[in-house]
Amino acid sequence: MEGDLFTVALLSSGLRLATPIILAALGGAFCARAGVLNLALEGKMLLGAFVAIVATFYLGNTFAGIFVAMLLGGLLGYLFAFFYLRYQVNLIILALAINLLIGELTVYVMRVLFGNVGSWSDPSIQRLPDFEIPLLSSIPILGDILSGYNFIVYFSWVACIVGYIVLFHSKFGRHIRAVGENKQAAETLGINVRRVQVSAMVIAGMLCALGGAFLSVGHLSLFTRNMSNGLGWVAVTANIFGFQHPLGVLLTGYFFGLAEAFAVRIQNVTDLPPNLIQLLPQFATLAALILVALREKANLALIRRRFRRQLARGEMQSAAGD
Amino acid sequence: MRRDIVKAVLRRTPCGNLMANAVELRNITKYFPSSNVLANNDVTLSITEGEVHALVGENGAGKTTLMNIFYGLHRPDSGEILVNGQPVEIHHPDDAIKLGIGMVHQHFKLVPSFTIAENIMLGIEPNQYGMLKKKDEAEMVRQLANDFGLPVDPYARIRDLPVGMQQRVEILKALQREAKILILDEPTAVLTPQEVKELLAVVRNLAQRGRTIIFITHKLVEVKDVADRLSVMRDGKMIGTRTVAETSIPDMARMMVGRSVLLELDKKPATPGEVVFAADNITVTDASGLPAVRHISFSVREGEILGIAGVSGNGQTELVEAISGMRPVEGGTILFQGKDITRRTVGERRKQGMAHIPEDRIKIGLNLETNLDENLVVNRYKLPEFNRLGFMILSAMKRFAAFAVKQFSIAAAQPGEMIATLSGGNMQKVVLARELSGEPKFVIANQPTRGLDVGSIEFVHRSLVDVRDRQAAVLLISVELDEILSLSDRVLVMYRGTVAGEVDPTTVTKEEIGLLMGGSSLPGTATSAGSVQAVPKPQKEVVA
Repeated sequence: MEGDLFTVALLSSGLRLATPIILAALGGAFCARAGVLNLALEGKMLLGAFVAIVATFYLGNTFAGIFVAMLLGGLLGYLFAFFYLRYQVNLIILALAINLLIGELTVYVMRVLFGNVGSWSDPSIQRLPDFEIPLLSSIPILGDILSGYNFIVYFSWVACIVGYIVLFHSKFGRHIRAVGENKQAAETLGINVRRVQVSAMVIAGMLCALGGAFLSVGHLSLFTRNMSNGLGWVAVTANIFGFQHPLGVLLTGYFFGLAEAFAVRIQNVTDLPPNLIQLLPQFATLAALILVALREKANLALIRRRFRRQLARGEMQSAAGD
Repeated sequence: MRRDIVKAVLRRTPCGNLMANAVELRNITKYFPSSNVLANNDVTLSITEGEVHALVGENGAGKTTLMNIFYGLHRPDSGEILVNGQPVEIHHPDDAIKLGIGMVHQHFKLVPSFTIAENIMLGIEPNQYGMLKKKDEAEMVRQLANDFGLPVDPYARIRDLPVGMQQRVEILKALQREAKILILDEPTAVLTPQEVKELLAVVRNLAQRGRTIIFITHKLVEVKDVADRLSVMRDGKMIGTRTVAETSIPDMARMMVGRSVLLELDKKPATPGEVVFAADNITVTDASGLPAVRHISFSVREGEILGIAGVSGNGQTELVEAISGMRPVEGGTILFQGKDITRRTVGERRKQGMAHIPEDRIKIGLNLETNLDENLVVNRYKLPEFNRLGFMILSAMKRFAAFAVKQFSIAAAQPGEMIATLSGGNMQKVVLARELSGEPKFVIANQPTRGLDVGSIEFVHRSLVDVRDRQAAVLLISVELDEILSLSDRVLVMYRGTVAGEVDPTTVTKEEIGLLMGGSSLPGTATSAGSVQAVPKPQKEVVA
């Protein structure tokens, strides 16, 4: 039994579970780079999950359902931007309002449409098909880890790489970073700050919705009340932990996905109370945040120690005189 | 076009020759309802092509507002703008840039983590299908820099650059956008005298190349050095335009202030007594843990003003914070009246007779959320006359406020009035009243006249000299060289966290002190070497 813990299956289910986190965190990274704190990832993800399954049910096509979800996610992102930029609503309050609103709204609509409160599914709903990547899947172990997912999983990897190229090698990305770091600098050079921030938030909304869609029609084929279950908040952490960098987010997202997968696995092999084990990803989150804070502190301590050592050696005077 | 000319003739613009006017601002009025300020009141200004036009006035006279309107950052409530004789609507900086207007703001608008090239090309990046062409970009910047004789390293990051260099980037930024009209908003405020000299040469050079320069300043010597004409603003109104060659500095000052100004402060010679305060070999780090003050020793005696000169950001802030107890020292001792107070808290130091006029009266000096009375007693509310069993005695506070208002002539203030409604000068008087009443033995005055009008500056200076004459010790920190030289009895110059030298304010020349501020030593070093080296913050240590 022990040997099963760190198998290929664990790594691959980690990648699967990381997908919604990576997508939402990437959206968060775009917002953060544009100077907007986006704590509404959770709500946007939940909206995506709900809309995707409902649209799939009515349209009879999973891809179309996902497309509609992303559209509405983008719209919610635009709404967020609208309230923030037009009416200067406090970002935290706005995010909390959206998270709570979506949480209740999905339950309400589910009840009106399907008369259900807890969860809903329909046999007609097709889960997004998995597919193998031709050459990659034939490599022994790597093939098992990196292949055999649905398109959202692959998309999340590609999105991070594309996100990196956009942010650091395109004109649009440079404008995003300039707006985030010094809004006035961008503004005085005639960059439309509003448009840049709105774009970033619409992109974030669409990515979050796609992450949510992965939950309802990619991973499973049902919707449950509060389905995102804190994954949006984990994404907020993954974004900070990943230094608001698309590739960093890919790694930290995977880290959290792995923690989730590990928690699921370990339940099968130990006698530890399951409630405690379910806390594992949350502990990982906490540890990650502490790490980020410690890194800053360690950096300062290092500089200070070096400074003190020089002080002791009496080298300051000569260093100052250069 | 024809109609415009006719209109202009009817208006009788002061300049006369219409076609040569690069800029005309007519009857501009701007009111800020949130602060209830009429920043521009029917202001008219015309600027000839190819001239350096100084726009002078005290802080708050409305110069910057006028230029922000011209640059599209504010919308005027009424009035019109003409560029090259054509009436234009400028809604956004974008419009201004398209019209060939460039602005170098007082606070630089640069992205610190970007390189010089990235900052200069921001918004006009060379690209292919939206992807950046970074090599082309650097090449374009290098080309531009060479064309104008302002060499820069395109790949250097802004956050690593000294202030003078950052300013150069701002100028290049405007030139890259083919600015024909360049607005410089108080460009010399952050520079050392040598950097100033260099900048003025750059400005003259640009004018010779056919650029029109609007040079905002309140330093009249610079106007004399660089400008062809000057326009003076006061209290939001345009006072008049003169040719610089035909106007003397005292005349300019009179136009600026509206009355004759006492440029010299008359004070008795100091009668220094015992040492009140001594810093021995102290070392302080800044917020990010980097050394800001290194091995500084000095002492202040009773009855004297010790001035600390230096370009802003050379450790003055950290030094003051360490002395006043707001920041721990890494090494060294601080003695106050012979006692070691290195580890004492702010409250304990104040109790022993230390007073502190902080550099930022809005954020640290005052609490804008509350009223005059509370702000005045915040350093003495623990005294028995102000509280009984932990409850404040409101009548005593009110009495004290009334006394302070009278004593420090805080104009138009009533006890109980909200602090935020007062003008900058009166706010500073509240701080002075709080810190200077109650016989302090040692007063730290950090930039005590920053952003004040001439009348208030005179008052602050007078108050500090009065405290000195009552035999208190005063430590004056200022980036205004004139202030340091006219008030201080002894002067130390700070550079990169060390004392670069001590000078006698009665004999030292501005050039000598400028050398020290730029990091050169006194006896005959070349000026050009030290001029661009003045670093705003001590850079990372060079580990030996």
